[in-house]
Amino acid sequence: MVYEALDFYDIESECTEEEIMVRDMVRDWVDEEIIPNIEAACREGRFPEEWGKALGEMGVLGMTIDEKYGCSGMSYVAYGLVCQELERGDSGLRSFASVQGSLAMFPISVFGSEEQKMHYLPKMASGEWIGCFGLTEPDYGSNPGDMITKASDQGDHYLLNGAKMWITNGTVADVAIVWAKLDGVIRGFIVEKNDPGFSAPEMTGKHSLKASVTSELVFQDCKIPKDRMLPNVKGLKGPFSCLNNARFGISWGAIGSAQACFHSAKEYALSRIQFDHPIASYQLVQNKLSWMLREITKGQLLALNLGRKKDEGTWTPEQISLAKMNNVDMALEIARMARDIHGANGILDEYPIMRHMANLESVKTYEGTHDIHNLIIGRWITGIQSFTRTL
Amino acid sequence: MPEIAVLVKRVPDTNAKIALSGDRVDLSAVKWVMSPYDEFALEAAMMHKESKGGTVTAITLGAPDCDKVLKDAKAIGVDRIVRVWDDSWSDLDSNQVQSALVSTLKELSTEVVYCGKSAADTGASSTGPGVAERMGWASVSNIIGIEFEDAGVEVLIPRSVGNARTGVSLPAVISCDKGFCKPRKPNVKGIMMAKRAQVEVMGANIPTPSINILSHTPPPQKAPGQKFEGAENVPTVVAALRNDANVI
Repeated sequence: MVYEALDFYDIESECTEEEIMVRDMVRDWVDEEIIPNIEAACREGRFPEEWGKALGEMGVLGMTIDEKYGCSGMSYVAYGLVCQELERGDSGLRSFASVQGSLAMFPISVFGSEEQKMHYLPKMASGEWIGCFGLTEPDYGSNPGDMITKASDQGDHYLLNGAKMWITNGTVADVAIVWAKLDGVIRGFIVEKNDPGFSAPEMTGKHSLKASVTSELVFQDCKIPKDRMLPNVKGLKGPFSCLNNARFGISWGAIGSAQACFHSAKEYALSRIQFDHPIASYQLVQNKLSWMLREITKGQLLALNLGRKKDEGTWTPEQISLAKMNNVDMALEIARMARDIHGANGILDEYPIMRHMANLESVKTYEGTHDIHNLIIGRWITGIQSFTRTL
Repeated sequence: MPEIAVLVKRVPDTNAKIALSGDRVDLSAVKWVMSPYDEFALEAAMMHKESKGGTVTAITLGAPDCDKVLKDAKAIGVDRIVRVWDDSWSDLDSNQVQSALVSTLKELSTEVVYCGKSAADTGASSTGPGVAERMGWASVSNIIGIEFEDAGVEVLIPRSVGNARTGVSLPAVISCDKGFCKPRKPNVKGIMMAKRAQVEVMGANIPTPSINILSHTPPPQKAPGQKFEGAENVPTVVAALRNDANVI
């Protein structure tokens, strides 16, 4: 069945011609290459290497970064539309692109030296080098400021010690952006896959994001040259800047998952006959479809408005928190409701529903949990931070 | 090095639902795309350039809202994009379209023209042969394979007795079927190039119209399906399949 994107408020007319061309390029690729193959990739628990290369060839990796580094300098709205289409295919696919662009290339482009930018960014834009981002630790998820991974200055090099967890692309990465404390201050380091003392074992047993590589990063006296520290940032501002970019992409990506579930639910409801009529003709089902449309439309308006603010440079972190939290939340609810409309068929991999639902459970938690984003907004409303206190 | 042209046409998406408004087709809400066979022609033109050098110019005929199809071609990598139009024109017939295209092709000193074997909207298959006739050039239609030689091209054309390998001297017009190549996809850099590219608009002298469309009517409605239940209806169903549907 041909995919017809829901665009109730004519979002398309608010986008530029090139933004729509980029969206359609990715939409066609997802229809042709991802949707026919994603279930097999999930069953095998792997992210096909050729998908990463294709993303590089299309030019969507780090696509908002300047052209002189081999990127495209496209708008954030275009980046959002790309995330939306990728995640319509699978959240694991969008995660790959988010990590590469927003979490690995972005910090090099903003906090790196000119030499670092010229060395890493063109090869990462082309997909030749894969990047990952090491912030979360086994004991420090929502509270990264207390990380225990440390760097020590050894004169002509640094030594890294510690471990990171839940790292997308870790095992397959050529380049890792690792956040560690140097003399008690969080700094960013560029670790390469063959650096001595570095390993990245894959985490297995996931019921979610199965077509995505998730890893630990382990540093045991990992020796890295002095010129691999990101020179232009100190403290949590570094990783949080990256996360804001990735969260922005997720706010669009979740719309893609929701669209996939809505589309499947609508088609199923129109073709499934019970009591002599399509179930789409019954009020309970129409109410559910109407709710889905309502939430997707609100999510689109939120994401587009935020995208224009990103392009103008007038966004706030709280606005990004709201968009990420809301859009993932609505997408997860839509996936659950779509499963309900599909009846028993909804659990089969003939339909994308359960895969999106399971993926979105991860997306709800990573890049700032749903609750943490509520607390960020709570702090904005009240002026009182509620993350920590003395008990 | 050859001056290569590819003719591309904006058509309603082949999945679009076509509706009538009064006695005319209402196309205001449809999605527009490059005619699918033209994508193969565009790929053939790009392959020709890669093999023998030269420049590729994508040409369309239409009002400014046809620029998108040219931008799509630019994103693929063509060198120039040209739209043939005059604001006094509307609803040109095939004779007028071909005359206008020929005027532009001559102005561009084109040596070889690629086009789709037919457009997805009209399905007339007249543009390629019509342009060749007016140019006085060789014409090969519905090619399903191509190789590039120094003096021309060698194409594969389906015939009732098999595929005919045919040598063609340039200049020529070559209309393309699908399937012999995989049309390349744009990338973001190509799209950025397309964004900055200027569409060259060219006018032309065209003959007066020779035909006049009086009205449009929708295709006949499909007859509603019939439902048969119970074993006693088996003979009826078999008879219907045999006598009405002619499938057994």
